[in-house]
Amino acid sequence: MDTPLIVLEKLTKVYSTGAEDVYALRGISLQIRANEFVAIMGPSGSGKSTLLHILGCLDSPTSGRYLFRGRDVSQLNDDELARIRNREIGFVFQAFNLLPRATALKNVELPLIYAGVPAEERRQRARAALEAVGLGDRLSHRPNELSGGQRQRVAIARALVIRPSLILADEPTGNLDTASGQEIMRLFSELWSQGNTIVLVTHEEYIARYAQRIIRLRDGRVESDTPNPEPLSVLVTAEDSHDIAGNS
Amino acid sequence: MTLPEIREAVSVALEAIRLNFFRSLLTTIGIAIGTLFVCLMAWLLYGLDTSLNRTIASLGSDMLYADKWDWTGRTRWTEVRSRKDITYWQARAVIEGLRTAEFAVPLVWARGARISAGPITTTDAVVTGTLSLYGKTPSGTTAAGRFFSLAEDRSATPVAVLGYKVAQQLFPKQNPLGKLLHIAGIPFTVIGVVEQQGTIFSSFEDEQIFIPLPMFVRLFGLTKRSFVIAVKAGSEERLELVRHELRGVMRRVRGLAPEAPDDFSINEAQAFREQIAGLRQAVWGTGISMSMLSFVVGIIGIVNIMFVSVAERTYEIGLRKAVGARRRSIALQFLIESALLCLVGASAALAIGNAIALLVRAAIPGTGEFLTPYIPPHHMGIALVVASTAGIIAGWAPAMRAARLHPIVALRHE
Repeated sequence: MDTPLIVLEKLTKVYSTGAEDVYALRGISLQIRANEFVAIMGPSGSGKSTLLHILGCLDSPTSGRYLFRGRDVSQLNDDELARIRNREIGFVFQAFNLLPRATALKNVELPLIYAGVPAEERRQRARAALEAVGLGDRLSHRPNELSGGQRQRVAIARALVIRPSLILADEPTGNLDTASGQEIMRLFSELWSQGNTIVLVTHEEYIARYAQRIIRLRDGRVESDTPNPEPLSVLVTAEDSHDIAGNS
Repeated sequence: MTLPEIREAVSVALEAIRLNFFRSLLTTIGIAIGTLFVCLMAWLLYGLDTSLNRTIASLGSDMLYADKWDWTGRTRWTEVRSRKDITYWQARAVIEGLRTAEFAVPLVWARGARISAGPITTTDAVVTGTLSLYGKTPSGTTAAGRFFSLAEDRSATPVAVLGYKVAQQLFPKQNPLGKLLHIAGIPFTVIGVVEQQGTIFSSFEDEQIFIPLPMFVRLFGLTKRSFVIAVKAGSEERLELVRHELRGVMRRVRGLAPEAPDDFSINEAQAFREQIAGLRQAVWGTGISMSMLSFVVGIIGIVNIMFVSVAERTYEIGLRKAVGARRRSIALQFLIESALLCLVGASAALAIGNAIALLVRAAIPGTGEFLTPYIPPHHMGIALVVASTAGIIAGWAPAMRAARLHPIVALRHE
């Protein structure tokens, strides 16, 4: 694991809105290794969502280099980026972004359709992914028949089903109540402990505390990049085991 | 493009049409009307052609008819009227003078004779005097009984061969063979019935009663009658050769000076093709222009509704792109939707067109003889291909817009 999963070199992103240019990112350089759990924080307008979109190959930087698994992806065209999103990156959005008329199973199958996976294998993998997030009994429910937390778990299953090298989450708990939010965060920690690489954007400190490393952005620059020696999930797990020990 | 992607595109397109069924139906009316015009036109032309080919076959595609009258109507009417009759002697001289033809036989007609069989009397039938050889032409081929023989010819035996309609008129629900028939008071024995020949272009063939020429002469005389010389070339390849010789012989027998124009016409079955060329063109022109107009209107409607569909589903497009749909997958989804829209319209049009075909045949007597009760299947196939092509053309710009949407921008659109 010598090459980092992600290498950013002096990444900038400029939006031209008519008369003036808006600098969303002003030279970001950083590296993310496989099996890291990174939280990106910052006030609104700091560029954290823009950065996540570029990391997720949903957008291209204006200048600078983005090496994903050692390959420069900063100048790829639309379809090449689509292919990387399809095979390598699982996205979880704040608004869940599910197809409203499709069942949970169908929603999770969606990326596999564009990967050309045959129907039978698609169903099996989607079912396994839904079972992995604890929704094995909700396969044929539509989004409007599920709670917010369940919808977000469908979205996570959709991210997992492609067996991604990178899971990106944009304010994944933003639309959820505290209990559901914690439930989702515990699921992310669990995925991390299973060896997944996770980058998540949040503006809530207690959410960021689940991560192992916290990058703070301000005005399109990295303000700080610090490790979090005691990720929350580990503590929770410790408490849980302590409780079990105490009860026995 | 993989199979799962294509199947997804089809199922999404079908769902989109199902969800907006009424809107889809309204949108596709232009295409449906265009398809209907094309199909009805094709159906009519198919009927005309079928009928025309039957006429030509019944007259014989290798037959020439030297006549005072011009069948195509190309020669001026006043000029044709001033032509002298072709006399019996001229007809005989021409027939004897021909070398290249398989055979030639004279024909002469009398109209208005009083004809009766039992209680039924008519003056509508045409009495045709000819020779036994005429039985070897397509128009003289009998469906029942036989044509008269050379011996009956020579001896002026009172025998008659009936056209299909005459047989039905005079002997309804009976077998006419062996029955008696009076022509101008003279009794004749029916020995044969000619095959049905008539089409919309001419029912004349079916209204004839053929009798031996000597018998005809005895009944009606020879004066003021113009003969027609029916010439069988033997094959279509020999037509030109025989026509050339026939013209020469005719001019010689008619005593024309070298610079004088022909005072006769050499007709052939193909003349009917020219006669209906105008009708054919009119049907075709009307059908094509009406359907083009409808298609243009239809395509504009589809373009419009597809832009609406893309706008309505911008968020869904963003989501599909975010999880890895490529441009062509998105484009395909919308192209299939607009092609399917048009196919729905075209299929409705085919159903209506076939219903119209059945109705027309049932409602207008005589049309059943040449119009098929359904639109010819290969034309239905062509109509479906044309309609789906129109759909693809109409869907192109909206599909491209959808394919080029930026995933982030599209996802924010809600």
